[in-house]
Amino acid sequence: MEVLQHLAAGFLEVFVPANFAALVVGLVLGLLVAVLPGLTLVMGVVLALPFTYTMDVTAAIILLTAMYIAGTYAGAWTSILFHVPGEPIDVPLLWDGYAMARNGDAAKALGWTLVAALVGGLAAATVMVALAQPVARIALTFSTPEYFAIIFFGLASVVSLGGSSLANALISLFAGLLIATVGVDDTYGAHRFTFGVPILSDGIDYLVVMVGAFGLGEVFLRMEQRFTSMPLQSVDKVTTRLPTLREAGAIKGTFARGTLLGIVVGLVPGAGATVASFLSYGIEAQYGARKAQMGSGIPEGIVAPQTAATSSVGGAMIPLITMGIPGSGATAIIMGAFLLHGLQPGPQVFETSSHIVYAVFASVFVGVIGMCLIGYFAARYLVRILELPEVIVSAYVVMCCILGAFAARNNITDVWLIVVFGVVGYLCERWRFPVAPMVLGVILGPLAETNFMTTMISFDNDWTVFLTRPISGTIMVLSLVTLLYPLLRHLRRRTRLAAT
Amino acid sequence: MRKLVARVSPYALIGACAGFLYHAATQIDFHRRAGTIGPDVWPKLVLGLMIATCLYEIVRVVLSRGRRGGAAGVLQDMVEESEARYGGGNVYAGAKSPLLLAAGIALTALYVWIVQPLGFVLATAPYLAAFIALGGYRRWGVNAAVSLIGTLAMMFFFMKVVYVSLPIGGEPFAQVTLALMRLMGIR
Repeated sequence: MEVLQHLAAGFLEVFVPANFAALVVGLVLGLLVAVLPGLTLVMGVVLALPFTYTMDVTAAIILLTAMYIAGTYAGAWTSILFHVPGEPIDVPLLWDGYAMARNGDAAKALGWTLVAALVGGLAAATVMVALAQPVARIALTFSTPEYFAIIFFGLASVVSLGGSSLANALISLFAGLLIATVGVDDTYGAHRFTFGVPILSDGIDYLVVMVGAFGLGEVFLRMEQRFTSMPLQSVDKVTTRLPTLREAGAIKGTFARGTLLGIVVGLVPGAGATVASFLSYGIEAQYGARKAQMGSGIPEGIVAPQTAATSSVGGAMIPLITMGIPGSGATAIIMGAFLLHGLQPGPQVFETSSHIVYAVFASVFVGVIGMCLIGYFAARYLVRILELPEVIVSAYVVMCCILGAFAARNNITDVWLIVVFGVVGYLCERWRFPVAPMVLGVILGPLAETNFMTTMISFDNDWTVFLTRPISGTIMVLSLVTLLYPLLRHLRRRTRLAAT
Repeated sequence: MRKLVARVSPYALIGACAGFLYHAATQIDFHRRAGTIGPDVWPKLVLGLMIATCLYEIVRVVLSRGRRGGAAGVLQDMVEESEARYGGGNVYAGAKSPLLLAAGIALTALYVWIVQPLGFVLATAPYLAAFIALGGYRRWGVNAAVSLIGTLAMMFFFMKVVYVSLPIGGEPFAQVTLALMRLMGIR
């Protein structure tokens, strides 16, 4: 009951003109970012951050969260209409979404996407509100070993999930953890890896790494490819035709599976909308009632990835708000916005700033509905952004990266650092070292180290404490299984290949 | 043999850097407290694991004679399997141009270098125009308009709305920026 009261107050807060304007701007920007193939939703949220510096904290978080939600939806339009995924999340939509469009029913495919995003988004928002306070209460009982174990699990899952090589993902993660140690250490005041350079004493901000590696690195990669994206097919008119209730009811199992999977994947630090989307499609293709027809343009192939992608947002917000652990690139930026405004997400936030938290929760509900309304009425106008030459968009992405890095501390050295990390990001992509583990390493590194050091000090340097306490022990074992799973999968595949 | 060297060299390079940083970590100056671990332990742990991973990968590559094929991430496997089954989603089909990339990086570095002495406006407008031209866009009028209007819009937004003090440049370039600021009502 108390939660509902807080939520009602949150809805009122969302409809304050400044917050509502931030929500609408966030939704439109998120949709545009998702439509443009060169811009990912994480990049979009990164680039929007400097524009929120002088905003009120609630409006700032609402804007970034709205971008995050909308970023999981609009890329589907280009997948379906042009066979161009706006985001990596939308690759599974090429298989059935585009096939349905090719079968002459593009409007229906867009309708299925809209309903899937709406159902997934609203269901996940409900679960988020229901789970947040209980999870925060549990988190209050956690000590540093449990926090370290959760962070370790997040790092293990990001390594286990992405990249064409497990070793490369590990190296990338270690590089991120190492970058996070640069500067003056909090406990001893010792200079680490500063090499006498004054600006390095303040450390390397994870935003600089993110902006450089995700933003500039991506532009450099596109530049090497001469900004030559595939020519778009012409589409007469973009309309959305919603499925009937009976049609939607016929695949309610797909809706439920996709939503549940998205929330669970969102909860896991390190995983995100892309993982949710692929996993959901994979499960539908393996266990769905019409698995044999997947890929031929059936609604299940659209609903499964889209519900999972949008519902992962609600799931990802839970560890961020309740434990202060950002599990994905986008939530890391949202956490950055919290911190910039002097607010530390975590279990205490429900005591100190519940009005902000519930305003953000309410904005997810309003955002999902608003996103679908904008999608229904304005998709035809928003996809026209694809007519903008990519090189012009990229030039402005570079400028937003540079201004974002400069505005954080008004320091030109940060701008040099993003150029350096831009080159590092490019080289990572070139040499097949995934960037995401490095970025997550930089974000979670300080939290991991602090919890590790505090545990060591509190428990007389007994490292077995991570394994002997029931909760941390379970999570650590789960983390090791997560890390070893790709290796076991690889060995099994090799054995099978050798046998054949 | 060349393939083997090419495959091993990134790990050897990273391993060597990690070795150097491990040495730097042993030199971290701090006042040790009895019975507690110091600020060098965490970086040493990370660097140790990094060196071990590099060594593992070097040995694996040498034993497999330069072939790829180590364990991949679960998502990568899923993507590759699904794309093989249903078709890929590669948006970019252009030929690579390392020269263009080098020019782009050099241009960006040059911009960062000159933005403080020249000021934001005088450095940004030419940078944007050069970047867009370098990227192959040949409609010069549009390019000039986009670069100039964009620069002024960013200057107005960041200086007037977000209150970021963008570089105004040294003399005599500062006079241009200050004149523009007066025109836009920026104090």
